[in-house]
Amino acid sequence: MDNDVANYSVIGRIGEGAHGLVFKAKHNPTGREVALKKILIKNLEDGIPVNVMREIKALQLLRCKYIIKLYDMFPRGMSLVLVLEYMCSGLWDMLHHSQQELTMPRVKSYAQMLLKGTRYMHAHYVMHRDLKPANLLINHEGILKIADLGLARLYWPDGGRPYSHQVATRWYRAPELLYGARFYTEKVDLWAVGCILAELITKQPLFAGESDIEQLAIVLQHLGTPNEETWPGHAELPDFHKITFPESTPTPWPELLPGVEPDAVHLVKSLVMYDTNKRISAKEALKHQWFHNRPQPAPLEDMPKPQMNKLK
Amino acid sequence: MFSTSSQRKFWTYRDEDELADLRGKHNLNYISKHGAHIDEIQRYNFFLSPDEERLLLKQYELHLKEFCKRFSPPMPKGVVGTAFHYFKRFYLYNSTMDYHPKEILATCVYLACKVEEFNVSIGQFVANIKGDRDKASDIILNNELLLMQQLNYHLTIHNPFRPVEGFLIDIKTRCSLANPERLRGGIDEFLEKVFLTDACLLYAPSQIALAAVLHAASKEQENLDSYVTDMLFRDAGQDKLAILIEAVRKIRSLVKMVESPAREKVRIIEKKLDRCRNQENNPDSEIYKRRMRELLDEDDIPHTGPSRMSLDTSGVTTVLSPSAS
Repeated sequence: MDNDVANYSVIGRIGEGAHGLVFKAKHNPTGREVALKKILIKNLEDGIPVNVMREIKALQLLRCKYIIKLYDMFPRGMSLVLVLEYMCSGLWDMLHHSQQELTMPRVKSYAQMLLKGTRYMHAHYVMHRDLKPANLLINHEGILKIADLGLARLYWPDGGRPYSHQVATRWYRAPELLYGARFYTEKVDLWAVGCILAELITKQPLFAGESDIEQLAIVLQHLGTPNEETWPGHAELPDFHKITFPESTPTPWPELLPGVEPDAVHLVKSLVMYDTNKRISAKEALKHQWFHNRPQPAPLEDMPKPQMNKLK
Repeated sequence: MFSTSSQRKFWTYRDEDELADLRGKHNLNYISKHGAHIDEIQRYNFFLSPDEERLLLKQYELHLKEFCKRFSPPMPKGVVGTAFHYFKRFYLYNSTMDYHPKEILATCVYLACKVEEFNVSIGQFVANIKGDRDKASDIILNNELLLMQQLNYHLTIHNPFRPVEGFLIDIKTRCSLANPERLRGGIDEFLEKVFLTDACLLYAPSQIALAAVLHAASKEQENLDSYVTDMLFRDAGQDKLAILIEAVRKIRSLVKMVESPAREKVRIIEKKLDRCRNQENNPDSEIYKRRMRELLDEDDIPHTGPSRMSLDTSGVTTVLSPSAS
C-alpha cells in the first residue's frame, strides 16, 4: 500500500487551505510530484468537515482529464492527508501575473477545457458550486483542471431536495443564489463559467461586488430589473422581497464587453442569463460557433507551460 | 453508478464462506497477538470465538437499527443503510475484541450522516445517546478517522432505496398490477430486515431491491414473475435470468432466517468481552487516555526544511490502524 507518509518527501509549502496547509511533495516510489493537503481535525468541533467528505466523494467519482485527481489518502496524527495531483499554476495567477500570456486562442482553449470538465461533472450529477479562477489550476503541460470540490455535491435531476444557498464566491455567484434560492440546479456553475469567460477575455471581473447586496445591485443594474419574461419565478425566491433596487434597463452587452467580438459576447450572454432554463448547458456551450471561428483554440503545444518548480 | 463503484469492486464478496473466512482470520489474528501465553485448548475460555463475535455483532446490528429509528431529528433511510454498510465492512477486517461494537456503531452512524448530507452537529448527535455525552462525542470523533481508514476511504454507498423507486415507476408504467403503491409496506419491512443479514456484502443493491419488490408482491397475493422474465430480462438471456432468480431466492431466504440472539447468551459474551478486549482501545483505560493526550500534543506542522520531512508516525499507527497490515 502507498498510503503512508513515509512514501513522500516534502519539497515545500504551497499554500493554506480552509482546514490546513498544502505541501508540495514527491512520491518516492514513482517520483511523481503531488500536493499533500493536510486537514487538521483536532480543533474541529464536529470532526472531519463535511466539505472534506464531499471533496473525497466527488473526486473518487470523477475521473476526467479536466478535473484534479485524488491519488490517495492517509491519516497522520489527528490529521487526514489528501494526496492530490500537483498543479504548478492556476488561472488566477495567469490573470494577475501574466495577462499577456492570455491570447485569444489560449482563452478559447482554457474555456473549452473548463467546459469539458463541467460537462463531465454534470453528466455525473455533481455540481461544483464554487467555480472561479482561483479553483481552476494549470499543470506543467498547460492543461486546465477543475479543483477544490469542497462544495461539490450530488444532485438529483428532479430537483427535489433543498440545498444551501451560501455557496460560490460572490463575484461568480448566480443571481438565484444571491436571492437565497434553496432549490437550484447545476446551472449555477454555468453562470460562473460565463463570468470567468468574460474575465479571461477582458482581463477584468465581469461583476465585482464588494458585498452580497452590492453584487446583486451590479448584476441587476447591468442585466436590467428582472421581470416574469426574463426570469420566470424570480419573485418567489426567499430573499426577493427583502430588498428592492432602483429600476434599471439592461445595459447592451457590447457596452458591458467593449471591443469583444459578437460571437464571444453571444456565448457569455447565453451563460450569464437570469432564466436557468434558457441558460445554456456545458454541452451546448461547447458547440458554440465561437469555438469554430478564427482564431481557433490553441492546441496544447501552444499553451503556456507553467514552471515545474515554482513555489509560492 | 454501482457497476463502476468501489462497492462492487472491493466490497461485494463471492459467497458467505468468503465472509466467514475473513472474520475468522481477524478473530485468530487478535488471539495470536494477545493470547500467545494461553493454551490453545483453553483459548476460547478467555477469548471470543468467531461464532460468539457473530452473535454479538448481530445484537449490535439490532441496536444500530433501534438507535437510527429513535434518532431525532428523523433520519432518512439512506443514512441508516449507509451506516449498516460501514458497520459490516469494519468488522470484516477487525475483531470486536480490538474495537468494541458500541463505539464503532455510533461512529458509523455519525459518518453516514455526514456522507449522506444529513447535517447534524456532534452535539445534536450525542443528544440521542444515553449516558455521558461528552465522553461519547470524544469517542466518536477519535474513531472517525480510524473508521474512514478501515473503509479504505470508500465512502459512497449504493443503497437499494433508489432502485426500489425505479422498479415502482417501471411497474406503474409497464405492468398491469393494480395500485403498486400498496407494495411499499412490504418493501420497507423487507429492507429493514435485509440489513440484519449479509446480503449487502453479497448482492447488488438492485438485486436486493427486486427481492424486496417481489417479496412485497407475494405478500399482497400478487405475482410479478412475468414482469421479471418477460420485461426486465426479456433480452438478457437465460443464464442472466438464472443468476438473478438464484440471487433473489438467496436474499429472501437470508431475510427469512433473521432472528434475535438470545439475551442470556449475549450477556455472557459481553462479560467475556470486557475482560478480553484490547485495553489500548478502551476509552476507560489509562493506556488509552495517555495515548490520546500524546496524540493531541503532537506537533502538527511538519518540518519543511531542505532535508526530508520528519515522517514520524510512531505512537499513531497503533491507535489508528492496529489491525491494518
